[in-house]
Amino acid sequence: MVLTASNVAEVAQTLSGIASQKITGFDLRGMNRLLEYTPEDMTVSVEAGITLAELQRQLGERGQWLPVDPPQAENLTIGALLAGNKSGPRRYGYGTIRDYLLGIKVVLADGRTIKAGGKVVKNVAGYDLCKLFVGSRGTLGVIIEATFKVLPKPETEKTVSATFPTLEALADTLEHLAVSSVVPVAVDTHNYGGTTTLVACFAGPSEDVSWQLGCARDLGFREDASFEYERAFWNSSEPARCLSVLPSKVVETLRQIEPKSYVVRAGNGIIYYRGGKEPDHPALPRELMRRIKDTYDPKHLLPELPW
Amino acid sequence: MTGIASKPLLDSLREIVGHDHVITKPEELLVYECDAYTLEKQLPTAVVLPGNTREVETVVKLCAANHVPIIPRGAGTSLSGAVLAVTGGIMIALTRMTRIIEIDYRNRRALVEAGCVNAWVTSAVKSHGLFYAPDPSSQPACTIGGNVATNSGGPHTLKYGVTTNHILGFEMVLPDGETVWLGTTPDGGEDVDGYDLRGVVIGSEGMFGVVTRVLVRLVRAPQAYKTMLGVFNTVDQASQTVSDIIEAGIVPGALEMMDQLITQAVEAAYKFGFPLDAGAVLIIELDGLAPSLERQAETVIGICRKNGAREVRVAKSDQERMDLWRSRKRAFGAIGRLSPNFITQDGVVPRSKLPEMMQFIGECSRKYGLRIPNVFHAGDGNIHPLILYDERHKEQVQRALQASHDILDKCIELGGSVTGEHGIGVEKIDFMARQFSTEDLDAMRMLRRVFDPEGRCNPHKMFPGSKRCGDFALRKQAAA
Repeated sequence: MVLTASNVAEVAQTLSGIASQKITGFDLRGMNRLLEYTPEDMTVSVEAGITLAELQRQLGERGQWLPVDPPQAENLTIGALLAGNKSGPRRYGYGTIRDYLLGIKVVLADGRTIKAGGKVVKNVAGYDLCKLFVGSRGTLGVIIEATFKVLPKPETEKTVSATFPTLEALADTLEHLAVSSVVPVAVDTHNYGGTTTLVACFAGPSEDVSWQLGCARDLGFREDASFEYERAFWNSSEPARCLSVLPSKVVETLRQIEPKSYVVRAGNGIIYYRGGKEPDHPALPRELMRRIKDTYDPKHLLPELPW
Repeated sequence: MTGIASKPLLDSLREIVGHDHVITKPEELLVYECDAYTLEKQLPTAVVLPGNTREVETVVKLCAANHVPIIPRGAGTSLSGAVLAVTGGIMIALTRMTRIIEIDYRNRRALVEAGCVNAWVTSAVKSHGLFYAPDPSSQPACTIGGNVATNSGGPHTLKYGVTTNHILGFEMVLPDGETVWLGTTPDGGEDVDGYDLRGVVIGSEGMFGVVTRVLVRLVRAPQAYKTMLGVFNTVDQASQTVSDIIEAGIVPGALEMMDQLITQAVEAAYKFGFPLDAGAVLIIELDGLAPSLERQAETVIGICRKNGAREVRVAKSDQERMDLWRSRKRAFGAIGRLSPNFITQDGVVPRSKLPEMMQFIGECSRKYGLRIPNVFHAGDGNIHPLILYDERHKEQVQRALQASHDILDKCIELGGSVTGEHGIGVEKIDFMARQFSTEDLDAMRMLRRVFDPEGRCNPHKMFPGSKRCGDFALRKQAAA
């Protein structure tokens, strides 16, 4: 069953009330308030049902943002963002949501509400349970509130691209980019429109961005670009596969898996693709993962581990 | 509890790591009786210095079979008693495992042994324009493994983040002796399926196992720095400047405050040229690409002036910048000139509450009749009041502890945390129940049980109700 709730009590009640049924999904869109926003502290607390797009809109009014850019922010709730550890092209420059999560409130499988972390940007009191829930896909508890640190929006942002006849040519430019002085916030490769394209995004004070655009031009980035390929790639109903490799092995891996379509966070070595070969699954510490699941959800009421 | 390790056990340990690498003589164990938190002391039963992961694993298995506590230890520079052998036990010191195993410049990562000293990593990669970002003041001595245990910070965390943001993965020997790799593997991609076990171990204060090898992230060194020293008449003016810089959308690499008392002590010790009559100074370091730094610096200088800065000095050379940072990072060392003993706290408050917090610390100083200099990570809201006392006067110890507790309570009241960097250890155990509910603490204990069902790895830490050293119980009584 889908756990639907518009307040904490309902979440707890549902969890305590179910005996045999299993939770397969969550709908907390009724819990969508922004609870506390202190721009001068650069921190914000929200309920888990607010969408990322709505949160960004409110932060934007004060010139700030939560520096993550996963696909489909209009429909993505903060709870789903955290549970899925979602990210987008700018993770190269800004990191992922776990780098910005300061505190979290969770209803555990037994109905008890717990909090972890806090509201300040530095905090090492107790274990870092926030990390346990980020990316846990709802298997350990129901995230109901979260506090993030946010950043000032960059003064300027500019995206440029270069196209390549072959993957070899792309590899050369990637290597040059890796040792150049520029600090892009995104480095993506895609084959949207049938051409091998490398995208670089620069953000920050305008002088820095212009200087970097000059360097990028010398490396072959001649065209203005956008993240339109992201939208196109993620709007497909066909699920995408994902592979994470060393950034230096992106081109080699693309050659091996021969994807039909792909978007690659080339700076991070993360390859999303459709068609082509199945990815290999690296070994995981499954025994520890199973013990965690059994400890936090002994009756297995919440979704099972997808891995 | 010295009977904890039998002679056969000690003999077996010697067989594993070699005779010279097991310490049992009381006079040699003294080094290991505490970390930089010296109010509580206890000798471990023995200290073992393994030379590689295999040896760590064998030692841990042996201790598991004998149900003996193990206490992982790096350089022992922690500040909260995190490596105290509360009831004795086998201390596993990683200080022989110091190698930088592999540096991958292209993918910006380095694989090091847990006992590798923090500053060595940056030294090794500097010529390639890279650095390891977390820079605790103890970085010339502290180990990467210890940094993982405490999730260490440092002045530059304001922009670059703390240890957890810079550790990709690590090898760890679980308390039952099984070796696992958590997080990104040395030749693997950065995203790893499954729970973020890497993330939950970082900051767990050595209670989940013994970290043996660590894969760290390397960061591109900034193209340029602009390091400024803002001189203010009052702490209030300096605090307001901190808020205004952040509000202006500028994220400095570091933003540090030193009040008059500490500035005077640091000046006497290191002769940097700090003004002796200033109420507070701010070290403001902008870093990044060169083109915009001049304009950003002008904005910062403008904000300082608007808040009444008497003077804003800009470091003219890299040498001057290094000297300034050396003075700042050795500030604690300069305290010896002011007082035989001090207690330091590292509570955190929301940045906007800094002025209120600083006023409160001033009130505590007056109330308890103790000098309390302040040197801290203002940009993070991470305070470091240094409560000065003389342990030869029992009632001063009592007043110092009381002042320290009042300050931590105030941090909680203002919506902050009792520790931003130093950890709970044994020192702040009593505050856990004030900052967290019973349910919150239970959720943490559940995680402990996953990694260490017997509670045998670094026992008696973090959780209320833990055993204390007998010595400390007496001191507490005296202070009550």
